[in-house]
Amino acid sequence: MKDKVCRKCNGPGTVFVRKEYCYCNDCFITNTNHKFRACIGKNKKLTSNEKVLVCLSGGKSSTVLLDLIYNGINLDSHKKLRIVPFFIHITGKYLRRIKKESESKKTTDMIIDQCQKYNFDLYVVNIQEYKSNEDISYCTNSYSSATLSAKNLNFTTTTGQDVLTKIKHNLFIRMSKQLGCRFVLTAETTTLLAMKLLSSIVIGRGSQVENDIGFADNRDGNVEILRPMRDITNEEIDIYLNIKQMYVDPKDSDQEISLQAAIRDFVLDLQENYPSTISTVCKTADKLGSVNGNNNIKKCHVCQSTINFKDSKLTAVEATIFSRIVSSEKSPESASDLPFNTKDNTMFPYIFDRFCYCCSRNYLETKGSDLNMFLSQKIEKES
Amino acid sequence: MPVLCKAGCGKNAMLKRPKTGDTLCKECFYEAFETEIHFTITKAELFNRGDSVAIAASGGKDSTVLAHVLKTLNQRYDYGLNLMLLSIDEGITGYRDDSLETVKQNRDDYEMNLKILSYKDLYGWTMDEIVAQIGRKNNCTFCGVFRRQALDRGAAMLNVKCIATGHNADDIAETVLMNVLRGDIARLKRCTAISTGSEGTIPRVKPLKYTYEKEIVMYAHYKKLVYFSTECVFAPNAYRGHARALLKDLEKIRPTCIMDIIYSGETMAVKEEVSLPTQRICTRCKFVSSQEVCKACVLLEGLNKGLPKLGIGKSSKAKKMLEEYNANQNSTNKAIDEINVDCQKNNCVSRGKACRSNRNKTNDNEVNSRNGEKCCSTQEKTHDSANISNTKLNTLLQDYGIPENDCGHDKNSSIGESSENHNFEVDLHNEDVTSLAEETDACGGACGKMDSMHIGF
Repeated sequence: MKDKVCRKCNGPGTVFVRKEYCYCNDCFITNTNHKFRACIGKNKKLTSNEKVLVCLSGGKSSTVLLDLIYNGINLDSHKKLRIVPFFIHITGKYLRRIKKESESKKTTDMIIDQCQKYNFDLYVVNIQEYKSNEDISYCTNSYSSATLSAKNLNFTTTTGQDVLTKIKHNLFIRMSKQLGCRFVLTAETTTLLAMKLLSSIVIGRGSQVENDIGFADNRDGNVEILRPMRDITNEEIDIYLNIKQMYVDPKDSDQEISLQAAIRDFVLDLQENYPSTISTVCKTADKLGSVNGNNNIKKCHVCQSTINFKDSKLTAVEATIFSRIVSSEKSPESASDLPFNTKDNTMFPYIFDRFCYCCSRNYLETKGSDLNMFLSQKIEKES
Repeated sequence: MPVLCKAGCGKNAMLKRPKTGDTLCKECFYEAFETEIHFTITKAELFNRGDSVAIAASGGKDSTVLAHVLKTLNQRYDYGLNLMLLSIDEGITGYRDDSLETVKQNRDDYEMNLKILSYKDLYGWTMDEIVAQIGRKNNCTFCGVFRRQALDRGAAMLNVKCIATGHNADDIAETVLMNVLRGDIARLKRCTAISTGSEGTIPRVKPLKYTYEKEIVMYAHYKKLVYFSTECVFAPNAYRGHARALLKDLEKIRPTCIMDIIYSGETMAVKEEVSLPTQRICTRCKFVSSQEVCKACVLLEGLNKGLPKLGIGKSSKAKKMLEEYNANQNSTNKAIDEINVDCQKNNCVSRGKACRSNRNKTNDNEVNSRNGEKCCSTQEKTHDSANISNTKLNTLLQDYGIPENDCGHDKNSSIGESSENHNFEVDLHNEDVTSLAEETDACGGACGKMDSMHIGF
């Protein structure tokens, strides 16, 4: 082991980051805090006394986010974090293995506890709220029973997770509007974002990474989602919690098979041997945008992403649709013109018209399930 | 219970297509497989009537199927193409020599002309010799860079309009993932293009871009095509392997993800403010390059000067390395003196290690193999022995006092008898990498580099 000397203050070091950089407790906390503040500061999004909605999941990183915000707004110097935070937690989970009611309650109670230590209120929203078009109803500092429907779960976990993310997204934004916030803060860390980037690419959302992984997601137009912890890794989160002696119930990681889970395992594994993997992947995300082939910009009705109807002659969409055509009864000769328009498309329903590539796939796969309601709501609203 | 073919021919299905999940019988599969490639070719306008097209043939499944399908389609749809095969002989014993036999078989089966170019003829080095220099890590860099240029040269010799390569959907998806993991924005941008090549260069096209590897294997298998299916002997150490492993895992979970990744790659764009290298012509060899001097020339220069790591890593480092190398050439003797002083101080343990492994490699043709072996085995011991061999290195230097580039030439002439010894040595070095991961990191990235920097001290 290397010398235990803090690289900042030359005092005795206590923690190692990436097995290499040694810090003492104080310098480490200062450094992490700085990363958080610098991320907010350099992006110049928040104005003084801005109302923001802070999303808490009860996980480690959101626990740290809560602490950072608390410390920030309680500073008495010019460095005071000038925001008015509202805290939200969404209960319920729509996966194959439905989270037990008791687990869901336990998590919620824990977050309520955390918030009350800091004297914050927590708004608890049931995920089922996505079904209503009216104002979101919520409880303050209490848990309301979530009736989770488990019927027709005929879709894969991969799709389930993606749709779930979009539903939560949607709820966050609606809730912000209801509370008059222009910004949403999430506790996504570098590690998580690196995994998210790869997952996005793997499910066909490659052109949306700018919004899905970057610091700010402004697809909504009115409310922006910010990721102030994007320079902090999970390793640092663990160290932070350790130093501050905060204990967080480890969330039972999903044992289910999904693309996201495979990528998570892969990234953590590669990180062991190539320690720069996560930061490299995140840096890559900063440089990516999307192809804007034409001028009439359409947006996906579900995820609000710009639909890239590329002018080029051939993309994976055409190739896949053609594969379907030659693999079905119709004679291939009649297939020189591809049936793109809406419902007849058995591979990509509503693609480029109302849905982006991935949302179209999700729509097809979740047909008949509860999740599909979320997607079909969006079609109906417009038609 | 047998599943019926979805195309409605009444027969039992033989396979389920990963791309769409449809089930097909053998005949309908052939039909669908070929029609899809025809669709890709016509829709993306890959070829023009009357073109001469070189098929980059390795003897593997992809290029064999490509050659077969292109020949079939050329006749069926009357493309009017003049097809020929182009192969590159990298000089990898136990791999390319065998696969070239398969290519020759293809040549006879499909009645196409075949042109074989070898690294030895083009660059003066075979891959076996290069690996002996560079070690088991990073050697795919050489092979890939050289092959790219070799194909260009071959195509120019054959005077063809374009080169068709056998890259399949899996390869492209894998490349997308790899470039993201490596943060290689420039490549990420162009890796999904179906046709690449700027003005003045011969374009490469990928007719199998949307064809799954699985289906290619099935097609080759059912059609009983002759192909060579051994993996390159050096491949297991490549970084690409990680991306490949990931993709295989993902494909098992959701087969359509390969198309999804390609779609992502196609619709992603690099932000305007990010500066990218522009393609131009190498000032030395006049082939495409993103730098003033192309990678192939840099790598080759490195090999010939005995600095095999020259082209690995950042180009700024390469420049530094070269400057130091040139400075060296003028003052080799002085440098040797400096080394002596350095070593007497006994303060360059890790560098000594790095130097040693390299020095032995460049010198052992001249000296003797016994010496090389001895030093290599000492690598597994501790610092003391490293110092000992460091002084050994000095003796060598004093005795022979040769500038590195001489070694390079000598190497070429005496390769035959020493290659076996090289392999042995490389293996040892490889073991070293795993057992002494951290230390060899300092040296592993360095052999050539550290050496020259050391002398520059």
